[in-house]
Amino acid sequence: MDGLFEMILNFLNNTDRFALILSGSAIAAGLAMGAGIGPGIGQGFAAGKAAEAVGNNPEGGRQATIVMLLGAAVAETSGIFALVIAIIMLFANPLVGREGTAVVLAASGIGAGLAMIAGIGPGIGQGYAAGKGSEAVGKRPKLQSQIIRTMLLGQAVAQTTGIYALIIALILLFVNIFF
Amino acid sequence: MDFSIHVAKVVRIGDFELWITESMINSWIICAVLILIALIVRKAIKNPQKVPEGIQNVVEFMVDTLDNFAETTMGKHGRKFGSFYGSMLIYILLCNLSGLFLGPNISTPLPGEPKVLIDFMRPPTADFAVTFALAMITFTMVQGFAIKEKGPFTWLKGLTEPMWPLTPLNVIGELANPISLSFRLFGNILGGTIIMGLYYNLPWFALIGIPVALHAYFDIFAGVLQAFIFVMLSMTFVASAMD
Repeated sequence: MDGLFEMILNFLNNTDRFALILSGSAIAAGLAMGAGIGPGIGQGFAAGKAAEAVGNNPEGGRQATIVMLLGAAVAETSGIFALVIAIIMLFANPLVGREGTAVVLAASGIGAGLAMIAGIGPGIGQGYAAGKGSEAVGKRPKLQSQIIRTMLLGQAVAQTTGIYALIIALILLFVNIFF
Repeated sequence: MDFSIHVAKVVRIGDFELWITESMINSWIICAVLILIALIVRKAIKNPQKVPEGIQNVVEFMVDTLDNFAETTMGKHGRKFGSFYGSMLIYILLCNLSGLFLGPNISTPLPGEPKVLIDFMRPPTADFAVTFALAMITFTMVQGFAIKEKGPFTWLKGLTEPMWPLTPLNVIGELANPISLSFRLFGNILGGTIIMGLYYNLPWFALIGIPVALHAYFDIFAGVLQAFIFVMLSMTFVASAMD
């Protein structure tokens, strides 16, 4: 076991610095996009609920659709944050030109990518809120503004952990913490 | 790419260093614009009429909307806070939207030698110092109004509820509010700023038309939404602390 560990460490230390950091960034960019699972499920749920609301009460269909679109746009946020991190990794990588151990820099990149997966949670949760919001508006179109207000407030709170993940990812990328 | 906050000038007062940053300058510009508009409106409606017309109509509509917004969110306390949170909303809204306007843009090609260009402004709310200061206003108001309404002893007792061993959790919960509030605004606006900055580095053929859609989502939709959410959450916190 020790021998294997030493072999891996030797391999990492002897590999070219650039190659190591770039491969770490590439893995991270891919990992970050895993966050897209959340908004996908959430927006799908919202769309389904809105379709149901329109089917049940075509009179309030327009209002329910507006609520669905608004809520789904908010549910998209964590996917966009993941995209921001992945694009930074690919096109404006701050790790490449930095002083320090290559292994640690590559690991920082992978860590930043991994952190963004937290976006699954807010994505599903916000989508659920959007779906329930459009369902409620379908039943009572007159209460649209109150329902939208409560939905947006709750979605903002549900976003909190996703924001924390983004902050940690940005710190790992842009702030020189380990040296 | 450089998304950091640039320092325009370092002012030394004794041993103390005061850094004048880009966010501070942009924030002063926004304050100046708001004060200027307020003065112009004040001059325009020097003689208010019973039946409003022209600019008085617009201003009355805005004030009424903001007052109603405060009242529906805060319930019976709303009237008192309408003017404060209305101003806060307008300020945060202009900060979030300032990325769409031209203004001083500071870059430091060599460390310590700032260069001022005229370019699109960096939104002050994409600086954690600004959003944290705004969230601390809310935190102080929450604790201050809770003490004022309930009295210091009821307020302290409220922290030990429902059982005294939960006191540390309650304290952490209170302290977490301004942190999540400030990071929410900061993270959303910074995310938009970064993605716009990266997009404008693309070759020219990608810059026809598409930035309009990106600005509509990242600056206008996210900016307006986050300004509303920040103010609405602040109002909810203060109102629930007073009950």
